[in-house]
Amino acid sequence: MTTYYGLYGQKVQYLASDPTDVQTGQVWYNSTSATLKVRQDVTTNSWGSGGNLNTARYFNAGMGAGTQTAALVFGGFTTGGSQSASEKYDGTSWTNTPSLPSAVAAITGFGTQTAALGAGGTPAPGTANVLSWNGSAWSAGTSMGTAKYGALSEGTQTAGLVFGNVYGPDTVAEKWDGTSWTTTGSLNTNATGAASSGTQTAALIFGGGGPPMLNRTESFNGTSWTTLPGTLNTSRGASLMGCGTQTSALAFGGDTNTFTATAATEIWNGSTWTSNPTGLSTPRSRGGGNGTQTAALASGGFNNTTQVNATEEWSGIVATTKTVTVT
Amino acid sequence: MAYKYCVAECWGKGFITHDDASKYQVSGFPGNVWQIPANNQDANLWVNKVAGSFKTKAEAQAIVDVEVTAAQAAWDALPDEQKQQPFNRQRPTAIVLE
Repeated sequence: MTTYYGLYGQKVQYLASDPTDVQTGQVWYNSTSATLKVRQDVTTNSWGSGGNLNTARYFNAGMGAGTQTAALVFGGFTTGGSQSASEKYDGTSWTNTPSLPSAVAAITGFGTQTAALGAGGTPAPGTANVLSWNGSAWSAGTSMGTAKYGALSEGTQTAGLVFGNVYGPDTVAEKWDGTSWTTTGSLNTNATGAASSGTQTAALIFGGGGPPMLNRTESFNGTSWTTLPGTLNTSRGASLMGCGTQTSALAFGGDTNTFTATAATEIWNGSTWTSNPTGLSTPRSRGGGNGTQTAALASGGFNNTTQVNATEEWSGIVATTKTVTVT
Repeated sequence: MAYKYCVAECWGKGFITHDDASKYQVSGFPGNVWQIPANNQDANLWVNKVAGSFKTKAEAQAIVDVEVTAAQAAWDALPDEQKQQPFNRQRPTAIVLE
C-alpha cells in the first residue's frame, strides 16, 4: 500500500493546532478539529480591491519594478491639469510622500519604492528632464538625450531603460547606467501608448497606438528589439498597463479603438498571450502598473469619463490550507 | 447574460476580495455604479456586504449618463491646446449598460 511516509519519507504531523510556518505541500493532522489538512497553491487569477489613491489621477507613473506591496506613484493629470503629488503603497493603503519639485504628467518611472527615477513628461511635446527619488526626497537627475512624453521604462535606478514617446513616431531607446544615458537599439514599431515589462537588458513591450490600437509584442535583449509572433488577443493602447518580466508578464486595461477603456487582462508566458476570464473591476487606461505576473497592482487611470483613485490588486496564485476529506 | 446594478462607494481594500472576484465579475461604471451577474447568489450577497443600493437598469443608466454628460461638458471647456495633447484624454463617449 502506498503511504505518505513511503512517498515523502516523512510522517504526517499530529498537531493540536495548525502550524504557523506552513510550506506548500505540507500535510498535517489537526487533532482538535479531527481533520487532515494540506497546504496547496491555488491559482486565482483575479483582481481584488486595494486601498484608494489619495489623489485620483491618470497618466501617472507607476514603478515598473515596484512590488504590489511596495509601490510608488507620482505625477499625472487631474481635471485641473498636471500635478505633483507622490504616494507610496504598503499593500493596504497609500500614504502621501514629498511632492515632485513641480507638477508633471506623462512621466515614466522605474526603480523601486525607495530608489526611483522619473523621466520625461509634460509640457508637451515632452522634456528630457529626469527626477531622482531616494526614498525621502526628489531631486533633479541627469537629463536624457531626447525629450519624451508618455514614454515607457524598465530597470533600476542605476540600470534603466527608457523607450518610446507619445509624440512620435519615436522609436528611440536610451539606457541609463547610473551616470549617463546612451542610445541603444530602436524599437521596430513606435511605442505610443504601449506597456512594458522586464529589465534594462531583457524587456518586453506590448500593445500601443491610438488609434488604431496595436496587438504587437517586441522583446529587447539588451542590444536590439525583435518583433515576436505572440500578439495580444485584445488590441489596445492609449495607454494600457503592464508589469512582470520579459517571459512572465501581465497586460491590463488600456483603450480600444473607440477610445473606450477596457478591463481585459492577459497573461504572457514567454510566447503566448492568454486572456483571463475576468478583468479589472474598474476598466481604465493611462494608469499605473506595478509588480509581477502573479502579484500586480493597477492604480489610478481614466475610466472614460474621469480620473479614478481606485487601486486593484492582482493575485495569480494564493497559498491556501485545505481540509482533506478521507473516505 | 442578465445583470443587476447597484450603487456603492468603493472604500478601498476589501471592497472586492479575490474570493469575490473568483466567483463572479463585478464591473464598475462612473457614478459608483456596479454591475453584477443577475442570477448569482454570491454576487447578490456582495451587494449587501458593500451596503450597496440596488438600482434598475434604467436608474443605473441615468446615473452613468449624468456622469458622462458632466465629463463631456468639462472636456468641452478645456483649452484647445489641452484637447490636442495626445492621450491626455478624449471627449468622453456615451456608455450604454448591457
